[in-house]
Amino acid sequence: MSALEYSTSMSSGWLAKKITKENRVGFAILVVISIAFIYFAIATPNYLSVFNVKTIIRDAAIVGIMGIGLTFVTLSGNFFLLSMKETAALSIIVFAMGMSNDYGFIFSMLGAMSIAVLAGAFQGILIGLGGNPIIVTLGAAGILYGVASWWSDNLVIFFKRPHDAEWLGTGMVLGVPTITISFVIFAIIAELVLRKTSFGRQVYLVGANRAAGKATGHENLPMAIKTCIIASACCAFAAIAFSAQMSSAQANYFSSEFGSSGDLTILVIATVMVAGNSIMGGYGSVLRTSLGAVFISATDNLMVLQGFNSGARVLSVGLMIVLSILIFAYVRRDSRSEG
Amino acid sequence: MQLSNIRRSFGSIHALKGVDLNINHGEIIGLVGENGAGKSTLMKIMSGFDDGFEGEFLVDNVPVKLGTPQKAQEQGIAIAQQELSLIPALTVAENIFIGGDHGPTVASLGQLSKMARPFLDEVGLENVSAKTLVNRLSIGERQLVEVARLIAHKPNLLILDEPTAALGESDSNRILEMVKRLKAAGKSVIYVSHRLDEIFKITDRCIILRDGLSQDSVDTKELDTNKLVSMMLGRELHSMFPPRDFSKNNTKNKTIRFEVNSLWPDRTLVPINMKIYAGEILGLAGQLGSGSGEVLAAMAGMHDTQGGSITDCYTQENYLPKNAKQAISKGIAYGSPDRKYDGLFLGRSISENLSSPNLKGISSKGIIQPQKERPLVEDIAKSFTIDLTRLAQEASVLSGGNQQKVALGKWLSISPELILIDEPTRGVDVGARAEIYNKVREIADSGKAVVIASTDLLEISNLPDRVICFYKGCYVSELVGEEINSTNILQAITNPENILLEDAS
Amino acid sequence: MCDVTQGQRGKTMNLIKQKLTELDPDLLFAVILSLCVFSFFAFSNPLFFTLNAGFSIMERFAVLGLVGLALTLCIIAGEIDLSIGSNAALSAVIVVRLTDSMGAFPAIGIGVLCATLIGLAQGYLIAYLKVRAIVLTVGTLMLLRGVALFAADEKTVMLTDFRMTDFIQEKIWIFFSPASLLVILLFIIVGVFIKYTKYGREIYAIGGARKEAIASGVNLKRPMMIVFALSGFCAGMGGAIIGLRSGTAQPLALQYLLLAATVAAFIGGVNILGGKGSVIGAAVGVLTVNFLNTGLVYNVTPSYVVQIYLGVLLLIVIVFQTLSILYDKGKQRRLLLHDTALTKQKMMDAYKSVLK
Repeated sequence: MSALEYSTSMSSGWLAKKITKENRVGFAILVVISIAFIYFAIATPNYLSVFNVKTIIRDAAIVGIMGIGLTFVTLSGNFFLLSMKETAALSIIVFAMGMSNDYGFIFSMLGAMSIAVLAGAFQGILIGLGGNPIIVTLGAAGILYGVASWWSDNLVIFFKRPHDAEWLGTGMVLGVPTITISFVIFAIIAELVLRKTSFGRQVYLVGANRAAGKATGHENLPMAIKTCIIASACCAFAAIAFSAQMSSAQANYFSSEFGSSGDLTILVIATVMVAGNSIMGGYGSVLRTSLGAVFISATDNLMVLQGFNSGARVLSVGLMIVLSILIFAYVRRDSRSEG
Repeated sequence: MQLSNIRRSFGSIHALKGVDLNINHGEIIGLVGENGAGKSTLMKIMSGFDDGFEGEFLVDNVPVKLGTPQKAQEQGIAIAQQELSLIPALTVAENIFIGGDHGPTVASLGQLSKMARPFLDEVGLENVSAKTLVNRLSIGERQLVEVARLIAHKPNLLILDEPTAALGESDSNRILEMVKRLKAAGKSVIYVSHRLDEIFKITDRCIILRDGLSQDSVDTKELDTNKLVSMMLGRELHSMFPPRDFSKNNTKNKTIRFEVNSLWPDRTLVPINMKIYAGEILGLAGQLGSGSGEVLAAMAGMHDTQGGSITDCYTQENYLPKNAKQAISKGIAYGSPDRKYDGLFLGRSISENLSSPNLKGISSKGIIQPQKERPLVEDIAKSFTIDLTRLAQEASVLSGGNQQKVALGKWLSISPELILIDEPTRGVDVGARAEIYNKVREIADSGKAVVIASTDLLEISNLPDRVICFYKGCYVSELVGEEINSTNILQAITNPENILLEDAS
Repeated sequence: MCDVTQGQRGKTMNLIKQKLTELDPDLLFAVILSLCVFSFFAFSNPLFFTLNAGFSIMERFAVLGLVGLALTLCIIAGEIDLSIGSNAALSAVIVVRLTDSMGAFPAIGIGVLCATLIGLAQGYLIAYLKVRAIVLTVGTLMLLRGVALFAADEKTVMLTDFRMTDFIQEKIWIFFSPASLLVILLFIIVGVFIKYTKYGREIYAIGGARKEAIASGVNLKRPMMIVFALSGFCAGMGGAIIGLRSGTAQPLALQYLLLAATVAAFIGGVNILGGKGSVIGAAVGVLTVNFLNTGLVYNVTPSYVVQIYLGVLLLIVIVFQTLSILYDKGKQRRLLLHDTALTKQKMMDAYKSVLK
C-alpha cells in the first residue's frame, strides 16, 4: 500500500469515525465553520488567486516545519516542548555568525544544527528519565534564549547579499519558493518515516501506551531523546531558512512579535493540536499538522486581506485553538480515561 | 436490602443473568464466586456505581434508584473496594473525612484527629496516630484505614470486597472481630472473599454466584469446603479445558528445559527454585501477593529481585533479564495480569499490537516490510481465532476475550521458548477461555515450556500438568498428576500448616 | 543539680531533633537555597543589603507572589495554568484604561473581576469537559493575548495622571507598601483555607491521587473551579498592581511571569505530579526568585542573563526533586524487604512453637 493510499484510508477512516451518533454535535460545528470559511474565502477579493495561495503556503512553511518536528514529540506521548522558539533563536544566531564570518552555508548550517541537536538531546534525556516535559523545556527555554542573547550581545548580525543561502531564502524552483518546497519535502519524509519505519512505529506505540511499550521492549528514554532531537533540528532548519530570508539574525527575532500571531512556540503547539493530534500521544500524523499549519495561515491571510489588525488576528487564532481543543475533547470524551 | 432478578449486560456480554440477594439487619452474608462470575458487577450495582441494570432493587422495602455512590451513601450503603482509594499525600484523619458530607467544613488537623480517633480504635488501629501521612503506613494499616473511613459514614450496610487480601494473620483477625461487632450493633455486612476459611468463621449465610447466576442462599452451618467449592465451580464448566495426559508426567521421559535458581523477587520470603520441563504446562497457585505472580514477573525482568537466575538447559546460558527487551532477546514471553494497563495498545490497530514485540523481525534496515508483517500477523490471528478482516481495527473495539487473545497472541511474534502468563483469562468470557486454553495446550505440546500463574481455582486445577503452590511468599508444595484438584490446591494456598509441618519435620 | 540541668538539655535536644525530622525536606531545601542566594548577593554587592533593596524585593514579591501562589495551587491540584501571564496583561490593560475615567479602585475591581471570571470559565471547562489544563491554557494563552491587544488598540496604554496611583507605592514600615501587605494578607488567607477546610484538602486530593479522590467521593468540579478562579484572581490582582505601579500597560508583556513563577513554585516544594506543596513553600520560593532578580539587577545584569539563571535554577530544582523521588523509592523498597524479613522470622517462630 503506498503512502498516499494508506494516509487517505487513515483520514477517511478518521472521518467516518467522527460521524457516529454521539459526535453529531461536534461534526455539525465543524461543518458550520467550514461553510463560514468558504463563504469568506469566496467573498474576499484576491483570496483564491494562485499568488495568494502560494503566499499562504509559504507563510505556513516556517511554522509548519517546526510543527512537523513537534509532532514527533507529541505522538510519542511527551506532550510538547516549550523551548521551540528559543532553540530557533540560538540556532539563528549561530548560523548568522557563521555566515557573517564567511564560513559559508554548509558550515554555518552544521553549526546551527549541532547546537540544536545538543539542546534537543539534553532535554530529551531529562524528559526520558522521568522529568515533566513542560517544566524541563520551560527551564531549557530560559537558558537557550539567554545564551543566544548573551552570545550575540543582543545585537543584530548581518551578512551581506548575495550570500550562500540565497537559494533557500529567496530562491525559487519552477515558480515555487524553496522554502515551500522544503516544507513539502519535510512533510513527505516525516510522514514516510512515521508510517514505514520501525522507529516511526515505536513512536506511535510508546505514545499510545507507555507501560505496554516498556513491556514489549520499547523504552521511553531513547524515544524522548530522538524525538526531541528531531524537533530541535526542525527548529534549527526553520531558523536557518528565516535567517536566509532576512540576511540577518537577532536573538529576539522569534519572540513576541513574530509574524502577526504572537508567540511562535504557542503557534507551533497550536498547529499540532488544531490538527487533531492527540495530546496524549499515539494518534495523529504529520500530514495533519501540515494541513493545520496551512489552515491557520489561510485564516490569518484571510483576515489580513479583510483588513483586520493584529489584535483581532491573534484573538482569532487563539479562538480557533480553544474551539478546536474543546471540540476534540467533546468528540473524544468517551474514549479517554479520567486522569 | 433486597435484589431480585438482577440482570446486567455490557454489549454482547451478559455479566449478570438473574441474581437474587436478600439481606436483613444484623446479618452477615458471604458472597462467593469465581473470577468472572459477576461479583464485581453486582457490587458496583449495590453500591451505586452502576445503574444500568434491570431488576428490582429494594432498600427497607422501598425501591431505589442509585445513580451515584453519594446516593448509595445516603441510603446507608457503604463499600470498601479491593483497590484502595486512600490519598497517600494526606493524613489518616483527612482521608477519613474526605468526600461526602459527613465531615466538617472547617477544622484543624488536631480537631479532625480527635474526631477520627473512635473509628480508628474500632478497626484496631489504636497505636496509629491520626496525624500520620498515609504514604507512611503499611498496606495492612492502609486497608484498615479504608475500613475506618467506611464506618465513619455510619452506614447500615457494609460491603467488604476482599478486605483481608493484603493482610497478615493478626490484622485479618482484627477485621473479623470488627465485623462481628458490627453485626452485634445491628448492621448488615456483605463479605466478599476468596478466603473460604473466613467465610466459614463469620458469615450466617452464603450466596454463591456462578456465571452470572445466583444460587439459593445456603446457611453457612450446612456448608463445608468441598460443598462450597463444588457449588462455586459447577461440573459443566470442566468441558472448556483440553484433556490432560498424566502419563506424560513420568519424569524419566521429560527433559528439563529451564531451571530457576534461587530467584528472590521482592515480596517473597525466601529464594525460589523451580524446574521447568519442555512440553508441559506448569501452574503456580497462590493468592494475591503469595509470590506466584511475582516469580513470573521477575523471570521476565519486570519485577525487582534480590538475586537469582534462570538457566537455559539447551544452551547452558545463565542469566536474569533486567527489562523486557532482554527477556525478549532470550526468547521469554511474559503476559502481564493487567492487559488494560500494559498488555495492549488500545489506540492502535490489532495488527500493530500483534507485531509490537518483534519490530526488529519484521523490518530490515529500519524499514518495516509489509511482506513480513502481514503473514506473521495473519498467522497469529488465525491460530487464536481472531477475525482476519478486523486486523486494521483499533484494539479498543474488541471484547474482553478477544483483547486477551491479542494481548497473549502478540508474544507468538517472537517465537518464544519460555511462555509465562499471569492470569491467562482474567475478565474473559467462557467461549474465549476455551480457545485460549486450547491454544496454550497446543503451544506446550509443541515442545515449549509454559508457566501460568492464576488465582482462579478452576483454571489452576484443570489446565496445568503440574502445580506448585505458594503461600505468603513461600513455596509450599508441588502437586503432580492425580494430586491436582481444587481441594488440595485450596488447602495448600490458604491453610498450609499441615504441609509446612511435614516439611519441617 | 548537674544531673537535672543535663536532663533538661537532653530533653530539649530530643525535641529539636524530633522537630527536624518531621520537617519536610523540600521545604528545608527551599529555605537553605533562599538563604544561600540572599547571602551570595548580600556579600557580592553592598548595595543589596540596604533598606531600599529590601523595599524593592518586597515590591517584586507583591506581583510574583500572587502569580507564584496561584501557580503553586494549580500544580498542587495536578494541573497548570499557562495563561496566567496573558490574563495578568489583560487585567493590566483594563485597569489602566479605566482608571482615567473612573478612578483607581473601581478600575481595579473591574479588572480583577474580569480575570477571576476568565479563570472560573477555564476551571469550568476543565472540570466539565475533562480537557487537560495544559492543553486548554495553551489556547487561552493566545486567546487572552488577542483580547488584550484588542482592548489596548495594539498600543501601550498609559495613565494621564500618574499621581492618581502613587499611593500604591507608598512605603509603610520601611519595607512594605499597600500592595505587598495585601499580598501577604492573601497568602495568609489562602494558607488557612487550604490547610483547615475541606475544600482545601480536596485540592490536594485531586492532585496527587485523582482516581482515588474520585473513588472517595470527591467532586472534581468544585476544587478545580476554585483553583482556577483563584488563579484568575491572582493574575488579575498582579496585573492591576503592575499596571498602576508603572502607570502603563503593554498587551504583550508579562510573559516572563510564567517562568519565574514556575521556578518559584518548584523551589517552594511542589511536585509536578501534584498533591504536594504548601503556601509557606510558595512564599519562600517567591522570595528566593526575588532575591535573585533584585540581586542581578543591582549587579546590572541584562534581563536575558536573568533568564539563564532562572532556567538553571529550575533545572537544579528538578534534578533535586528527581533524586529525592529515587531516594524515596529506594527507601520504600528497603522497608518492604525489611517487612518481608520480619514476616519470615515470625512464620519460622510460629511453626517452631507448634512443633514443640
